[in-house]
Parts: sequence; structure tokens; C-alpha cells
Amino acid sequence: MDSKILWRVILILVVVALSVWSLYPPGEKIHYGLDLSGGIHLVLQVQTDDAIKAELDDSAQRLVSRAREEGLELSQGESNIDNLSFTVNVPADTDTAALRELAANWVPGYGASPGAGVWTFKLPPNMDRTVRDMAVRSSLETIWNRVDQFGVAEPVIQRQGLESDRILVQLPGVDDPARVKDLISSTAFLEFQEVVAGPAPERQSLLAAIGGVTPSDSEILTGDRQGLDGQVIGVDYYLLKKAAIISGQELRSARRSQDEYGQPVVNFATQPHAADKFGQYTGSHIGTRMAIVLDQKVISAPSIESRIPGEGRITGSFTIEDAEDLALKLRAGALPATIIYLEERTVGPSLGRDSVVRGVRAAVSGLLVVMLFMLVYYRLSGLNANVALILNIMILLGAMAYFGATLTLPGIAGVILTIGMAVDANVLIFERIREELRVGKTVRAAIDTGFARAFGTILDANLTTLIAALFLFNFGTGPIKGFAVTLSIGILASVFTAVFVSRTLYMIVLAGRERVESLSI
Amino acid sequence: MRIIGDTKIPFLSYRKIALSISALAIVGGLAYQFLGPGLNLGIDFVGGTQVTLKFRDQPDLSVLRSAIDELAAGTPTIQSFDEAEKNEVLIRIENPEGEEGDFATPILDFLNRDFNAEIGDSFDLNTNGSVNLTTLLVVADPDGMGGDDEARRVYYEPMAEAVFDYRNRTQAEHKGIFHSLDELANVEELSDSARAYLEANAAAGAFSLLGTESVGPAVGADLQKKALLAIGFSLVGMLVYIWIRFKLPYAVGAVAALFHDVLITLTAIAVTHREINLPTIAALLTLVGYSVNDTVVVFDRVRENLRLRRGEELESVMNLSINQTLSRTFITSGTTLVVVLSLYIFGGDVINTFAFVLLIGILVGTYSSIFVASPVALAMNRVLVSRRERRRLKGRR
Repeated sequence: MDSKILWRVILILVVVALSVWSLYPPGEKIHYGLDLSGGIHLVLQVQTDDAIKAELDDSAQRLVSRAREEGLELSQGESNIDNLSFTVNVPADTDTAALRELAANWVPGYGASPGAGVWTFKLPPNMDRTVRDMAVRSSLETIWNRVDQFGVAEPVIQRQGLESDRILVQLPGVDDPARVKDLISSTAFLEFQEVVAGPAPERQSLLAAIGGVTPSDSEILTGDRQGLDGQVIGVDYYLLKKAAIISGQELRSARRSQDEYGQPVVNFATQPHAADKFGQYTGSHIGTRMAIVLDQKVISAPSIESRIPGEGRITGSFTIEDAEDLALKLRAGALPATIIYLEERTVGPSLGRDSVVRGVRAAVSGLLVVMLFMLVYYRLSGLNANVALILNIMILLGAMAYFGATLTLPGIAGVILTIGMAVDANVLIFERIREELRVGKTVRAAIDTGFARAFGTILDANLTTLIAALFLFNFGTGPIKGFAVTLSIGILASVFTAVFVSRTLYMIVLAGRERVESLSI
Repeated sequence: MRIIGDTKIPFLSYRKIALSISALAIVGGLAYQFLGPGLNLGIDFVGGTQVTLKFRDQPDLSVLRSAIDELAAGTPTIQSFDEAEKNEVLIRIENPEGEEGDFATPILDFLNRDFNAEIGDSFDLNTNGSVNLTTLLVVADPDGMGGDDEARRVYYEPMAEAVFDYRNRTQAEHKGIFHSLDELANVEELSDSARAYLEANAAAGAFSLLGTESVGPAVGADLQKKALLAIGFSLVGMLVYIWIRFKLPYAVGAVAALFHDVLITLTAIAVTHREINLPTIAALLTLVGYSVNDTVVVFDRVRENLRLRRGEELESVMNLSINQTLSRTFITSGTTLVVVLSLYIFGGDVINTFAFVLLIGILVGTYSSIFVASPVALAMNRVLVSRRERRRLKGRR
């Protein structure tokens, strides 16, 4: 064998060996996309307006309470998210110079515009973006923590674009979508609040008990009313002090547990500084009710029976999963803003497996028919093309394994399509060789010219398909990207196998033979 | 073996008939799309929620319909999915106008109420997954393992996973759903007391979830824009590439053939009431690549022949080139068609429209690379080549 052929054979063997090496064992090396493995794909949007509103409300509250300490009788007006401003009601006899100074100290950067009885404070320029950005970042972190604690393998949790308020979450293999969705999206903002009045079965009766008007420092919230067996039998209304005794952020740990009746509960421990606050409050309010409020809903309002130091228990009408998830969310932290779902796709594991089986069946049957045809039509040259085709598929799968590309259902379609299109290069070459043979060229010359002439065409034809695949990749979401990737790799591999490998096979067959009378094509 | 011998078909002589037929098909198709029922955009582009379920027994569609109607969300679609004997059903609703959110959960809640009333508080092995089952077993601890949660989790998790592995096994007769609790006997990993516990406290509910898709208006609009951009850019990309590699008339011919293929395939999608979703767009873009591929092979031959046969009329060179590449055209279309056909037949419902688009696209693409691309390139050439240049060529001859 002359050295030129030898080098070609070595190169081919190396490529094949690399493919096999990177592919083996295939079950572990080929990553299935969500549509094949089953799992959840979510696109969430952080309602950053919530964070802006919270920032405006906080600033207003801070200014008003400081002003009152200084003897200025201000009251909080309204926050306006569209104008990025809050208002404060200012009595006519207020010392405006003192108010300006307070504002400069306590809501720095805010632009104050005095009006008749109402001052408007506008959010500092650019602060808007910072607040929104922070809200998305900390949401991302909280979701990470929650998913991490939930124990999902290889999750994808990322912001979609630098300035975006969207977060992409992909959780492969998760088969309890409802639970995970709730786990991710609930704000989990927990507060312990003082019960002023209630529970009452109706809003009217609650209001009647306190003289008809809700005090400005209080709010009315609702909670489920449970029967003796724990079933929900109605709604209770509570009047609660707005200011929280402690909040979920001040907890140190939370665990699911059971009470003496076997009911699921959540045990918690507070951070040291909160423990003092909590102990002091509960110690001085024995006999009164304290509401445990989760995301603006009262989950229970037990009576305080003794001073509670650093540890306590949250009871409510929980299922086991509820209790476990609440504990998890309290550990992972609250979301700074509400989250809504923009896109949600779940694929059950049986559908994914079904797709794999069907895809493989389609690929194998297509492959067999094409190979049979090539063999019948081009005889030994067809065998050559079939060897090239098999190598092509091996290289394609090997490259996908090497680059860690994901195989999706459309990706399988891409592999199948590659089978059909890969033989195109061989067909172009063979038809050309036949033509050259017909005009009377020798076998060697016909093969040389055939490969040379067909090469330009193959290049042009495949580059156009690559261009399409490129745009496909750019456009694509998960499964489509997978398709673009397999198609692109398949095209590149087909140029190698059809042009280089097939040529080498011819060289090997023809080597050492002085005169070649005929070619099986 | 040869299927097509040396042919001398004057393809370009039929260009008027061919172009008329194509124009008619395109105009008819556009009329059908714009004046008739139009293109059926799927939830990827217009938003909506789709839930695919597998029922234990043949579901009562009227109960299903009344459960969904109660949601009062636009016009729901309820149709069977895949083969009828699999009892698989696809439910699709329109999301409330302009609203984002999770609309799959309410559907499932309603279905649970109407179909799973008899199982009460039992743990439903068909709608739950391994995470929930692990929690259940960890708390109940039927094997009396004691210890902390973590230790028990390590012990019970493989059991829970084995239960669902059994349920989801594709080849099994009852793929994707438990028909009765008796099947738990086949799950070898389950300890006797865990099995006894499940037999007492679990149930095989009426349905299991194959998948859900919910797309809100924001993402839908986004995807629509991206799809149009991708198709537009790839068309421009082709035009530029062929312009550089060949000449402008050829680029115009190839792109005309592309428009032709895409428009006719869209018509085929509209006529068969298929939905346009992300995979459909992927198939259309692939078709774009395939169609140009086919055209380029002919043009390449034209370019080569023009060099060999200086002075010959472009029309006859084109005819010659098409004939020379004819057997390749047929064989490649044939092999690609075979694999796409096997995808169409065996690929299942999920990939069916994708395969359909390619099937039509390959047929139309093969036709257009002969009957549209070359005639248009020829016509463009006549327009573009100035009279003087033609005179100069005549003088030289």
C-alpha cells in the first residue's frame, strides 16, 4: 500500500476511533433534551413593578415616620409606579425647610415637587433600572436555592439576556410538575403579625367589632377556617397590625415535622437578634393571638401560651408536601417580587421515551431502505457509499457526544434527514463517474474526474444547507437548536465521508492492480 | 443499473406552462390562506394552553368537554392523540385575552375533580411523580427504618423511582399509566411492606399526564417575530451566497424557487388544517436549505457547461445541464423522500407535521429546481444582460 493511501487510512481510523471513544458508552454520553428525557421548561417573568412599588412605599414610610418624630404631622399618600413617584400629604402649616432637609437625609436623590397640601417625590434617575435589576438578580438566586434544595440534577436557571426580566428554568427528569411550579413561583413571604381583632366569619362583623373603620396601621386579611377534622369549611377574616413582629427573612432554619396528632407542621428557629425581639413580644402578649401570614394569607392564628424564645412551630392545614415545601422555601428565602409564567412546557417521561423509540425506528427503517437502494443501484460502489454512510452517522453521534450537544426529537429528525442527504454527495460523485465512463474514460481517470468535478458542487450545495442551519440555530429554542446542530454536524461529516472516505476506499480497491477494466458502479 | 438514461428533454420549452401552473398554485394558495380559513397558527405563536393526557380507560368525551367548558376559556379543542386504542387525548384552550400565567393547572384541577372523585384522598400513582412518592414513603416509613428524613430518603427513593420507571416503560403493555394497583406486584424493587402500604393508601387514577404546553402572548409574539426573521434572513443569505458564487440572475432564480416552495408548502399545510408551530418553522427552513441545494447542483452544471460550450444559447445549455443532472436529482430526492417518509410513518404524532412539511417540500423543491429556478434565471438574464453586451458577444462570434 503506498504511503498516500496509508496516511488516509490512518486519518480515517483516527477520526472513527475518536468518535467511538467519545460516544462510548452511548447511554451516558448522548444528552437527551427535555423533550426526550421528560422534564420542565419554564420562562418566568419577574414583576419588577413590585420591587419598584416596594421601594416607593418603603421610602414614603421612612420619610413619614421620621417626619413625625421631628414633629411634622405628615401622612403617606400614594405610590405611582407609572411616574415612579410617591406622594405625601403635607398640612399647610408645615415647616417646608425642615421637610426638605428631612427628605435630603432620608430619601436621598428623590426629586421633591411641593404642591398644595401634597408633595410628590420622584425616584432618582436610573434608580429605576437598578431596583429592577436587583429584583431579577435576587429572584434568580432564590430560585437557584429552592431548586438546589429540591435536588434536581443538571438544572438550567438563567436570565434571558442581560437587561431582561425573564428567567429560563429547565429541570430535566422532574416528574411532579405541579409541585415544582408552585415551589418556584410562590413568593413565600412570611410574617408574624399581631391580631387586633378576629377571626370573624364575615368582613362586616369584623368591621362592626372595631367601629366600622380600618385603622391606618392595620389591614384585613383572610385565612381558611378548618373544621375539627382539618377540612377547610370556610373563610375567616382577621384585622392585623401592618408592622410585622418578625418576618421570614429573620428565620435561621425551618424543617418539616409532625405535631403530637401526626399533623404536618414546620418547625423554625430564628436568628439571634430576632429571637430577642420575638421572645420579648410573645412574653408580653400571652393570651392574645398572633397570625402567621404567608403571601398575604393567614395560615394560622394561634394563641400565645408562653414566651417563645428562638424556636417555634407553624401549624396550618398542611399536607406533607405543603409542609416540606414551606420549610424549603423559608430556608431558601422569599422572592422580592411576584413571578408569572410566560411559557411552560412539561414533557412526561413516557411521552419522551415513546418519542425516542419511534425516532429510532424511523431512522433505522429509513437507513435500511436507503442502503439497500444504494447497493442495488450502484452495486459495489453502493457498498462503498454505505460504508461512508455508517461512518457518517458514527462521526455525527461522536461529535455530538464530544461537544455535549443535546439530542432532541427534531434532532433525531435531523439525523434521519442527514442519512437522506448524506448519500446525495455520493450520488453526485457516482453519477459523474458514470458519465465520465460513458464518454470512454478509463476507470482511474473517471474516478479522478468524477471526484474532482463533483467536489465543487458538493461544497456549494452543502454550504447553502449550512446557511439555513445557521439561521435555524439563531432562531431556535431548545429542540430546534438541537435540530440545527445535528443537521450542521451531519452535513460537515457527510462531506468528509462521501468525498474523503469513499475516495480512499476506491484507492484501496484499485491499488496494486495494473489495469482496471471495469468498475462496479 | 440505471433508472434514467441519457435524456434530451427540452425542459425550458415547457416553462410557460410550468410557470403558469406554479403561479396558479401560489395565487390559489394565497387566496385560500387570506380569504379562506387561513393558516392555523399553533400555540407557539398565538399563545394558549395544551394538555396531553393518557386515560386508563376510553374517556367519556362529553364529561371531558363539560369539565373543560366550565373553565370558560375561549373555544376548547378536544381531540384524540396518536392511535385511538391508546386512549390519549389532547386538550387545547385559548388563554384569556392578553393574560400571562399558568393555565395548565386549572385544567388538571377540573379533570381531577370530575374523573378522580372515587379515589378520594388516596395517593394517585398516575398523576404524581417520584418526588411526591418518596416524600409519602419517607413520612409513612412502612419498613420501620427510623432514623432521620435523609436516611429514609436514601432508602425509599429507589423504590419510588422503580414504581414510576415501571409506569413509564414504553414497551410495556400499559405504557404510561397504572391500570390497577395489582401491577405494583411487578415492581421488584418495592419491599413487601411498602407494597402493602401503597395497596392500602394509593390508587390508580383515571389519567396520567403526558405533557403540557402553555405559551403566553409575550412569548408567542416573540417567537412569531423570530420565525419571520429567521425565514427572511435565510432567504437573503441564500440570495447573497448564490449571487457571490454564481451571478445575480441565478440568485434571483434560486430565491424565486424558494418562495415558490415555501408558499406552496404553506398552502399544503393550510389545506390539511395542520398547525404551524416551532418544528414546522424548522422544517420550512430545512426545506429552504434543501431546495437551494437541489437548484445549486443544476446551476453548477450550467456554469461548467457554459465554460465548455462558449457561444451556445443559455437556454440549450440549461436544458443540457438539467438533463445531465436529472438522474442525480431523482435519486437524491428519492433517498431523502424515503427517509422522510419513514419519519412520517413511524415518527409519531409529535413529529408528524414536521415530516409532512419536508415530504411536500421535497416534492415541490425537486419540481421547482427544474421548472422554476432555471426559467426565472433565464428570464432574468435576458433582462439584465444589456443590449450592447449581447451585441458585443454577437460580434465576437
